[in-house]
Amino acid sequence: MARTNETIAPGETILSLQNISKSFDLGRGRSVEAISGVSFDVKKNDICVILGPSGCGKSTVLRMIAGLETPTSGLLDLEGRQIAGPGRDRGMVFQAYTSFDWLSVRKNVEFGMKVNQVPASERRERADHFIELVGLTKFADAYPTQLSGGMRQRVAIARTLANDPELLLMDEPFGALDAETRWHMQELLVEIAETANTTIVMVTHDIEEAIFLADQIVFMSRHPGRVKEEIRPEFKLGERIADKEKVISLEGYSALERHIMRLMREEGSKE
Amino acid sequence: MPDPVSDKSSRRKIFAIRQPVSRFQIIVSAIGIWVVFFGIWLLATETGAVNQLLVPAPQKVLVTIYELFVERGFASDVGISIGRVIVAFLAASLVAIPLGVVMGAFPAAEAIFNPFVSAWRYLPAPSFIPVLLMWFGTGEAPKLALLFIGVVFFLITLVMDHTKNVRNELIETALTLGAGRGTIVRSVILPAVLPNIVVAMRQMLAVTWTYLVIAEIVASTTGIGAMMMRARRFLHTDEIMAGIIVIGVLGLTFDLLFDRLHRWLFPYLQEKR
Repeated sequence: MARTNETIAPGETILSLQNISKSFDLGRGRSVEAISGVSFDVKKNDICVILGPSGCGKSTVLRMIAGLETPTSGLLDLEGRQIAGPGRDRGMVFQAYTSFDWLSVRKNVEFGMKVNQVPASERRERADHFIELVGLTKFADAYPTQLSGGMRQRVAIARTLANDPELLLMDEPFGALDAETRWHMQELLVEIAETANTTIVMVTHDIEEAIFLADQIVFMSRHPGRVKEEIRPEFKLGERIADKEKVISLEGYSALERHIMRLMREEGSKE
Repeated sequence: MPDPVSDKSSRRKIFAIRQPVSRFQIIVSAIGIWVVFFGIWLLATETGAVNQLLVPAPQKVLVTIYELFVERGFASDVGISIGRVIVAFLAASLVAIPLGVVMGAFPAAEAIFNPFVSAWRYLPAPSFIPVLLMWFGTGEAPKLALLFIGVVFFLITLVMDHTKNVRNELIETALTLGAGRGTIVRSVILPAVLPNIVVAMRQMLAVTWTYLVIAEIVASTTGIGAMMMRARRFLHTDEIMAGIIVIGVLGLTFDLLFDRLHRWLFPYLQEKR
């Protein structure tokens, strides 16, 4: 299964949000603007983290990129095409467990490929590859209900990646996990991003997670949701480091963390 | 949790709030309640507190069950009754499951069918007996129709509600994997709701047995209910009670079969840790 579009080189813009706004109808002619004039670009093979306080509309932005919601105005551009609805080029991993409990781990990972009519032998091969990538080879024939929460999220990641999307979208994927598992999963995700050459757009409210994972941080403020600041964690010197202690001990980490904490606090004082 | 300081509460209480009981206690309790039931029944008949013509002794009923099966061909009546339940219930399921799933998956389908289904659910099925008899005569059709009407609308609603409860994230995950509407209904919504459908079927099968007895008492010359109506004419209360007990045992058996079916169909639900 070859990439459908090889024209965009790593480092060039793959996704572009232009002046996205979204209003929700409250009935009786009233409406509330949840998201206002959001614009940012995501570069190919980057990990872009959308960070912000709860209620800033970061999940809604991600859902609009997925095509699960439509903006009231603005343009969503993926490789020169307008996003008009959900599609296999934008696979999503949710915070809630989404494993199909009636299918084995392997069948879960094969699901997207089966839907997209990938021949059985290739399906099997790719599934095994991605199951190995997330370290679940021993559990390939187990049911998801037999797995722990972290393992189930790894199934969801493998299932999405095996479907070869242009973008891997993640909505607080590790939010339901305990601290230790979350930290392992974050390190695993850095490794996966390196190996699988995939572009990731992820939503979180965890500052540490954002700084550790991101090549680009989009900080959103609330009421209405806007982009307050775009940050590239320069202290990582453009390197991906899959070791969390190492990142935290780098010079510049704590300065960035303090900066983002201040941004969060400003948002908190809005209420 | 028992308080280790106070030795009054460190002794295990038989009735402790939300504390699991041992298998032994479960079995003893289950047998116990029936021993009490039959004990009271036996006492009432032996002491002459009740008229034995109206309430025959339990041992008399058990003997009657034996005689009914061995000497009077009651098995064919039971067979006919079971057949009616199975045929009508299968027909109702064949209509209710696809319709309920479609209504639960597509709000547009719910908008069409739900006003109709809800109204029918509130009409008592037995009120259709006179007209069913006029339409279908006295053959099998009016009985099957009554069971069908009595069950199908409830089953549709149950299946629809369970289908609506399939988590949205599962559907959205499938969408972002590139699945279309048909695939999502067939390969995500249906398998996700199937365990609950089997539970709903188990519940509605019990209701089918209720309507069966009504149908056979009112309008049949065969089946368990008809036998009980014949017995009434000759004041054979022992036979009526025998019929009730046989129906109870049959219902319990079907319930256990459904439980087994559930375990067999959905092994992944048993292995939760």
